[in-house]
Amino acid sequence: MIFRAVEDADLIRKARRGDVEAYNLLISRWEKRVYNYLLRIVGDREEALDLSQDVFLKSYQNLRKLDDPARFASWLFRIAHNEAFSSFRKRRLEKPAPEHPESTGEEAPMAGPAAFPIELSIAVTTALGKLSEDQREAVILKIYQGFKFEEMAEILSCPVSTVKSRLYAALDALKTQLAPLKTRGVT
Amino acid sequence: MSCSPFDLRDYLFGELAERERRQVELHVRACGGCNEDLERLRVTHATLLALRDEEVPQRIGFVSDKVFEPSPLRRAWQAFWGSGARLGFASAVMLSAALVIFTFFRPAPVAGLAAAPPADTARVEAVVAQRVAGAVEKAVAASEARQAQKSAELLAAAERRYQEQRTADMERVKEAFAYLEKRYNTELVADNRPGGLR
Repeated sequence: MIFRAVEDADLIRKARRGDVEAYNLLISRWEKRVYNYLLRIVGDREEALDLSQDVFLKSYQNLRKLDDPARFASWLFRIAHNEAFSSFRKRRLEKPAPEHPESTGEEAPMAGPAAFPIELSIAVTTALGKLSEDQREAVILKIYQGFKFEEMAEILSCPVSTVKSRLYAALDALKTQLAPLKTRGVT
Repeated sequence: MSCSPFDLRDYLFGELAERERRQVELHVRACGGCNEDLERLRVTHATLLALRDEEVPQRIGFVSDKVFEPSPLRRAWQAFWGSGARLGFASAVMLSAALVIFTFFRPAPVAGLAAAPPADTARVEAVVAQRVAGAVEKAVAASEARQAQKSAELLAAAERRYQEQRTADMERVKEAFAYLEKRYNTELVADNRPGGLR
């Protein structure tokens, strides 16, 4: 268990009063999670970093609108989700892409082999890239970020049943795609 | 299709209550098919976790960047509304509003009260002066009486003390005289004895 002398809620209260240092400490606690979430969604380090900065800026500007500081995590990831999908929309306007990458066999943008230079990481990255954006995000929020279904529903603005449906469909697809790794002894 | 009482995926992701978890665990021990399903899910989950988090290539702090800070005016405003001064300010606003409302909507004075006839004022002043003089005279008389009584008491007390002192002195003189007389008689008797003359 990690003991934190100052809770996030205290930092949020201070930041609301204009204490930028308190908010900076809050960022240091959350930047890695937000960055990795965005990296797995958009698949590009530079873009993930830019989006992370935008997320924390918007979060700071809207901190007073956060009703319950205890729900900061899901509120922050809701902003990150909006930023990521806003970026997707812009990208589509510039260069139209297929709705579901897995239906055409074309991979969605993910971190390339250089990002995770071992065979297993490449296989996982590829498998995640074949999921739809919604399914991939459900996997990222659940498996890599550890959110509960209720929190995921809040972040994605959809019912829990939809969250579960996306996640379980993704799991079925991943199970099939990643099964050969075990038979080859990679795991 | 799994025959587990609860979804094995919910179990894997820790979304079941403790009682439900125990039921699944009991079932999986007895059911080979569900045990295999759960094992496959665990393997998939573990494989996905092989993709580790990356470190952020660059700190996202923006303390020194003024672009990210609210303007001084905005900060002062936020600090003000986040402080105890808010209540004081609200009270002052309420008080000011009440004063303004009272100024514009106070009731008109009753006619006749403001301008009393001068004759009445003179009569009232004369009566007040008379009553004040009477009261002062009465107070002075009472004070003098108290002073006289106090003086008499003090005089009587001094007289008593003098008499007591005089009586005590007389007693002491009598005792001394008796002692001298007794001693004189003793010496006189001694002188009258034969051979006792010095």
